[in-house]
Amino acid sequence: MSRRRAKASPRGKEEDVRTMAGLVTAGIISLVVVISVILAPIPQVGPEEGNQAPDFVADSYNGASWSEYRLSDNFDWDWNGSSDSKWLLIYFMDTDCPYCWVAGDEMSQLHSQWSDRVNFVTIAAELGIPDHDSTRGEIEAFRDKTSYFGCNSDRDDCIDRPGTPNNWPYIDDGSMSIMSLWGLSGTPVSFILEPDGTVAWNKNKHQGQGGDGEELSEALQRLVGEQ
Amino acid sequence: MAVITAPLMIFLLGIGVSTYLLVKSRDSPGEEGTVGILNASMGFSAVGIMGSGWTWSIHNSMLVGSSSMCATEGLVQCGSVIGDPQWNNLFGIPWGLIGIGSFAIIWFLILSIRMDLHAKWSSNYVNLLYFVSLAGVPFVLWLVLVELTMVDGAPHICPYCTVIHIALLGMVASAFYLRQRKESGSWS
Repeated sequence: MSRRRAKASPRGKEEDVRTMAGLVTAGIISLVVVISVILAPIPQVGPEEGNQAPDFVADSYNGASWSEYRLSDNFDWDWNGSSDSKWLLIYFMDTDCPYCWVAGDEMSQLHSQWSDRVNFVTIAAELGIPDHDSTRGEIEAFRDKTSYFGCNSDRDDCIDRPGTPNNWPYIDDGSMSIMSLWGLSGTPVSFILEPDGTVAWNKNKHQGQGGDGEELSEALQRLVGEQ
Repeated sequence: MAVITAPLMIFLLGIGVSTYLLVKSRDSPGEEGTVGILNASMGFSAVGIMGSGWTWSIHNSMLVGSSSMCATEGLVQCGSVIGDPQWNNLFGIPWGLIGIGSFAIIWFLILSIRMDLHAKWSSNYVNLLYFVSLAGVPFVLWLVLVELTMVDGAPHICPYCTVIHIALLGMVASAFYLRQRKESGSWS
């Protein structure tokens, strides 16, 4: 009696090739990563001094209307330390923050002193604490010093804010995305950026525990005034 | 800067060769056809890895100024797409880096299958390859939507991003045919 033998299906290799495949893959990926980094090194981006300031795109109020604002559009990438390019002062605030309310006077004074060499930018955040609800109307009124009841934790009319009307851009950060990008949780906080976007001064580093106590006005004098 | 650069030409050539291999091998019977499709998959995957590395480099260079690695003006350019801080990352991770990681997984699966066509786990890996590739499609659609409608000055077309998107679609097609071969018994 003849027996039909089933055709044997091909069998896999004795050794598990996946380890080798994994090693080859890791090698190729490492090579690609190394070449990519050689072609363009990973820049240090963050709010620390010496780092590139984190870029952002958000809506900005210029006194008449809201339009898109991109921070890096204001950088002079070719700045060599001696050109006439303007520095940037980034000021994070909340229209309901009492400290920001009081600081209105100082900001106005600093702007009148430095506006020919420093571009001011205010980022209006909305801190997640009671009575800190903000609206675009409130941001506009805070900037322009026009009548709008609700500033300073809903205690004051914005027209009574210390200082003069501010004629620099106010960025709406009600979503707190820029605050988060910059690793911030409170206001007011200010940063001075070199014309090419490098963070030259971070308030949090100089004030508070372990800081040298340097004030914003002193930092502007040291960095911009003595240049 | 010219839109058609040497790296772009190399990536397009890779896509072209991989597509040719896929079309040629799709209807070839047995193991020869399967190996051909796997080779095409490796081509698509290699373009995906290298293209992603290139876009990651563009991303890094644009963080500290403009990039000389891609055009920054006009409809077809990278500057307004890879340089847009609002859209050039996913939870802070550059898309290029995500691409390298994703194509690395795909490459590993293909290479494993290619090295041992008849391993017990090959069917699972073919299915995994198909679903991992397919999972990238919604991201491709999203990124195309972003570059055409959402970036600053839209619409723009980022040529390197498009090459990577095509590589992924080629990968999906290759994985589809591999899966079909496994299921129909024409694997070898």
